[in-house]
Amino acid sequence: MIEADRLCKTFLVHRKRPGLWGSIRSLVRRERMEKRAVRDVSFRVEEGEIVGLVGANGAGKTTIVKMLAGVIHPTSGEARVLGFRPWERDNRFRRQIALIMGQKAQLWWDLPAADCFLLLKEIFRIPEDLYRERLDYLSGVLDVREELHIQLRRLSLGERMKMELIAALLHGPRVVYLDEPTIGLDLTSQRAIRDFILGYREEHRPAMILTSHYMEDIERLCRRILILREGELVFDGSLAQVVERYADHKIVTAHLRGQNGPVTAGELAPFGHVDHCDASMIRLRVPRGRVAEAAAELLRRYPIADLAIEEVEVGAIIERIQRAKGATRAP
Amino acid sequence: MRLELLWHIVSVEARRRMTYRADFWIGSVAGIVVKFAVAAFIVGAIFRESGAGRIGGFTYQEMLLYYVTVVLMGLFVQTSEREQSVSQEIYEGGLTRHLLYPVSYGTMKYAQQIAAAVPALIQATLLTVWVPWAVGIPEGLTWGSAARGLAALAAANMLHFLLTYPVQLVAFWADNVWSLLVMHRFASALLGGMLVPLALFPEGARRVLELLPFRYLYAFPVEAFLGRVPPRDWAAGMVLSAAWCGVFTLIGRAVWRRGMLEYTGVGI
Repeated sequence: MIEADRLCKTFLVHRKRPGLWGSIRSLVRRERMEKRAVRDVSFRVEEGEIVGLVGANGAGKTTIVKMLAGVIHPTSGEARVLGFRPWERDNRFRRQIALIMGQKAQLWWDLPAADCFLLLKEIFRIPEDLYRERLDYLSGVLDVREELHIQLRRLSLGERMKMELIAALLHGPRVVYLDEPTIGLDLTSQRAIRDFILGYREEHRPAMILTSHYMEDIERLCRRILILREGELVFDGSLAQVVERYADHKIVTAHLRGQNGPVTAGELAPFGHVDHCDASMIRLRVPRGRVAEAAAELLRRYPIADLAIEEVEVGAIIERIQRAKGATRAP
Repeated sequence: MRLELLWHIVSVEARRRMTYRADFWIGSVAGIVVKFAVAAFIVGAIFRESGAGRIGGFTYQEMLLYYVTVVLMGLFVQTSEREQSVSQEIYEGGLTRHLLYPVSYGTMKYAQQIAAAVPALIQATLLTVWVPWAVGIPEGLTWGSAARGLAALAAANMLHFLLTYPVQLVAFWADNVWSLLVMHRFASALLGGMLVPLALFPEGARRVLELLPFRYLYAFPVEAFLGRVPPRDWAAGMVLSAAWCGVFTLIGRAVWRRGMLEYTGVGI
């Protein structure tokens, strides 16, 4: 459904020196520099898939989404979405896609959402009965029926985001781009939006690309992630693969009971890397292949009240990949 | 564009523009009254000082009627200018949402401009009521001249949009085009007969101005409405106005196509 092939985008940006002299100078002469926002990015997204686009600020996530939604032209490379070149903006293409931007309201600020939806109904040529059915379903699931007739600017951020979601999905898009849909929302609203997206995916099976800085969004919604670093795709694979590939160890935490004197790092060193040890708690990073053996040995040697074996946090692994050098791509 | 869609855009945009009633009354009605009052004082002073009964073929009363009509008709012509919405949307990235809609951006913006005629109609109706009492009824005004004037006004509305659109699109390159738009507005008002009737220009300049698009924004519909343009000249003027619309449509399309390559969709 979505195919990106060696997509590149370079922006020309002006550089202005700081201070008054810099401003005066820039009136006459401007320094320009090329900023390579996206470099040779290729991937595919299939029907019913939610793919997480992960990266630090400025990694190129939104630029990729903008190219695939047809908002901006790539500098080079090719992309096909539903068989169309997005930046040609064929009306048949635009009737089948949606872009939800958490940081940019798309509805008319001064009007109630119901008025905006009626206009979108005409823009997307949604038949009356289908429009009623979808509006009823979406406003019901998102629990905003009572707010439909209130001026948008008077709604809370969470309610506005829900209205944005309804507006984007009213025409039943087959491809949905979600650019930080939960940004700035409280935990309850974040959870409601996530639940809604999952439910919508189950029922309608669109191809979705999600960008978010919240790991919970990614972990909850995406089975597959694309990690970008400085415009380059450095990982394309499942969340499980990220952990397997980049975390060669697990975290073993033991709470001790009735231990006489502190446990020393030296005596724990044979199990793995010691993160913490004192008279009440031990935390170790143990190589994957030796976890069972290490746990058994710890239980035998120390008076353990509770033992936990955990995977390393996905967020921490992703953060490490984003920082690391040398591209790595999962098969 | 389908009629249902056009109607919805007009309806939504008209409601949006009339959301804030204080702004509606203060910004618009007061603005119109002030504009006319300034014109009336200046015209009065010129007539008094010169002692002439006619200036550029206008009596004092005819001149006042010209200014009343040009101010009222201007409400229907300048609708897109006030908000600079196209350049603003390019600058702030608001254009992005329009690019996702299966509707031509230019057509949508023009539909919004038509919508601005709804509040303009309310203002103009309220203000027209006192014109016969305050200034009198134009001598040359007939049903025929009114119809010709209104047809020219519709053409002026479209021409104004098409003329302003490419200027606003310069925002693709220059980001902020406010000063360019101010210059454009001033040139249109001066050369189009809004600030001064074109009859006051020297003969040679008037001939040139008749060929340029600006006359068809203000002077032509006003003069046609007041019965100062014979039907034959009106028809020729309408043809010229349509030709300029065609030229600026082509320019607008070319600038849009090139400009879209520069668009970065800032703000998301």
